[in-house]
Amino acid sequence: MDYFPVFLDLKKRRCLLVGGGDVATRKGRLLAKAGASLRVVAPEISTELRGLVIVSKGEIFEREYQASDLQDCVLAIAATDIESLNEKISADAQTLHIPVNVVDSPALCTYITPAIIDRSPLVIAVSSGGEAPVLARLVRAKLETLIPASYGKLAQIASQWRERIKTRFDNGDSRRKFWEKILQGPAAELMMNGQEDAANKFIDDELANDQSQLTKGEVYLVGGGPGDPELLTLRALRLMQQADVVLYDRLVSDAVMELVRRDAERIYVGKRRNEHAMEQENINQLLVDLAKQGKRVLRLKGGDPFIFGRGGEEIELLAQNDIPFQVVPGITAASGCAAYAGIPLTHRDYAQSVRFVTGHLKSDDTNLSWPELANPTQTLVFYMGLVGLKEICESLIAHGRAATTPVALIEKGTTQDQRVLIADLNTIAGVVAVNDVHAPTLFIVGDVVKLHDSLKWFKTN
Amino acid sequence: MNNFLKAPDFFKANVEGLPSTMLKARSGGDGQAKKMDGQGKKIRAGKVWLVGAGPGDAELLTLKALRAINSADVIFYDYLVSAEIRALFPKNIPSFYVGKAKNKHSIAQENLNQLLVSQAQLGLNVCRIKGGDPFVFGRGGEELLALRTAGIDADVIPGITSASGCSTYADIPLTHRGLSQGCTFVTGHAEKNLDVNWDALAQLKHTLVFYMGLTRANDISAKLLAGGLAADTPVAIIENGCRKDQRNIISTLSELPADVIREQVQSPALIIVGEVVRMKEKLQSTVKAHAAEAHYLLA
Repeated sequence: MDYFPVFLDLKKRRCLLVGGGDVATRKGRLLAKAGASLRVVAPEISTELRGLVIVSKGEIFEREYQASDLQDCVLAIAATDIESLNEKISADAQTLHIPVNVVDSPALCTYITPAIIDRSPLVIAVSSGGEAPVLARLVRAKLETLIPASYGKLAQIASQWRERIKTRFDNGDSRRKFWEKILQGPAAELMMNGQEDAANKFIDDELANDQSQLTKGEVYLVGGGPGDPELLTLRALRLMQQADVVLYDRLVSDAVMELVRRDAERIYVGKRRNEHAMEQENINQLLVDLAKQGKRVLRLKGGDPFIFGRGGEEIELLAQNDIPFQVVPGITAASGCAAYAGIPLTHRDYAQSVRFVTGHLKSDDTNLSWPELANPTQTLVFYMGLVGLKEICESLIAHGRAATTPVALIEKGTTQDQRVLIADLNTIAGVVAVNDVHAPTLFIVGDVVKLHDSLKWFKTN
Repeated sequence: MNNFLKAPDFFKANVEGLPSTMLKARSGGDGQAKKMDGQGKKIRAGKVWLVGAGPGDAELLTLKALRAINSADVIFYDYLVSAEIRALFPKNIPSFYVGKAKNKHSIAQENLNQLLVSQAQLGLNVCRIKGGDPFVFGRGGEELLALRTAGIDADVIPGITSASGCSTYADIPLTHRGLSQGCTFVTGHAEKNLDVNWDALAQLKHTLVFYMGLTRANDISAKLLAGGLAADTPVAIIENGCRKDQRNIISTLSELPADVIREQVQSPALIIVGEVVRMKEKLQSTVKAHAAEAHYLLA
């Protein structure tokens, strides 16, 4: 360990910042955020930095640096382009034993500044000791992913409860367990969703509960996106990491399942076409039953739960049973496949609206309004349309959509196996027939498909 | 924390000076590899990510979007990218506001396209981040086309589109068995006449979602009514969806214009028309004592 990590209390303390450009301004922002009183010295000082000085009740000296500027300062930062000046500031400060940092010159520094993940009051600092700043930055990025933006709120509320919980549990072990439950369970979810009152009430109830029945389960109904695990949302990943049991179906890719907490129980609930491992009603009931056992239940779906995901049906039963739940939207297949195929769903010249339709025609086909679907300025996206494809194309043509309207069939979109077949309404059924296409597929109809050729960017292995 | 410059000022102050400022910022940055060799030799073009930031909640960013944010040398964002998300931008790289609030189309799309191209040509990795999804009313196609035409390597990272995020956070499924078997997204953008076959829209068992439809509330209501939709067809107006101050206003097709005015609804707002809006009431009525607890995403 080349450096000793510390957090400095700079509130109302004078800090010298030499320099007035972009870099100095960035340093000034951080100092001001920590409550420091800024003394800024430079011939030219940016407007924002001036503002920061005023807010921090500091001082501005629009001139060259002089040694007396260090007087009464507890910290110094040099952010100038002039090497000799930086050297002088560093030497002066060291003479006075004032910690000094010279931006980008580790040799002139008596301290270095870390990369920061700021979830105040929770703050995480990362440093590679100046050896590999880019690596530190990558670590920071990883931590940003792991730690939700709302953790600051969580820390604030936790601090409000600290004394009461300490009084309630004199045993350190039971106290720790209580905290773990609170910080990972429904109370934490409430806090992070800004529902402080409800969260406080929840903790209050739990504290009042003599037997400390911290076994209340909950359900996370989460959209797992179209396939690429990197298209998971931060929230989805967080909930996947804390679930006790996961219910998933075939639309959730293996790569996404890889990211579920390792020791979570996994239950496969279907549904391959014609192979319903479990009926919808049974899935709904299973979610309720598992939550009632006190489990954190993850219901992971491909795409988005509220777009052809039957999420509403699953919620209904949970709500009737007073089970806490939350729904996390996911990248719907249309969005993901369109992006990865280079086909904008709307475009100034081609489409002012986009419609998502399920391709499972069956008994519903009389309800599809074919004349409206034939509107040439609307992009149509058919979900799971492989079986009804031929019929869909014929109907669209019969109702006036040009037979030459371009169409794209995207197989296993956003994954390394993605395949995009381009044809038109007249020819696509034939193209599919000779290409051995497998689900999941998505079918896009409209002039926007013309853009695929110039916009395609995603490369598969 | 970020350079939240108003668009006209941004262009006046920065467009011409931008490249050099940026390189200076980079070389003054925290140990980044420098792409300019100082002798003006040819530099390898950077990469551009067209990133959907989703509807506002920072936790609805995708992992890939966050990676792009953290890999960029410069970030360009628009007004639909929430403050919560901007707070995740690394502090040591510059970020610039490039529009577009309603009626403030001061940066022509062509200039913006050119800006992205020129930044990448300087060797910078550029994160162009916009609210929602770049390919759903995001004009991402135009930006991508300009980049590809200039030979710039560009990726598109889809985001949660507002219709999906806002409806979820308002407890309204866009499709639901028995109520709606599909959904249509329409932009109500003021520059254009709504290019919609209203009569046919009205006849569908279908959810309609209007993006930026506030100023078109009259039109939407009148034309769907004329097309045959019932006056009491439920409508949800979602203001500031997926943000801390999300507001859900439940109305009906005939009351929509009046409610928009009475409630002083502000942009960004999304209008959802269809029977699925009733799901929200249904949930509220079935969850009683522990409403907030049992159903904590209810705004």
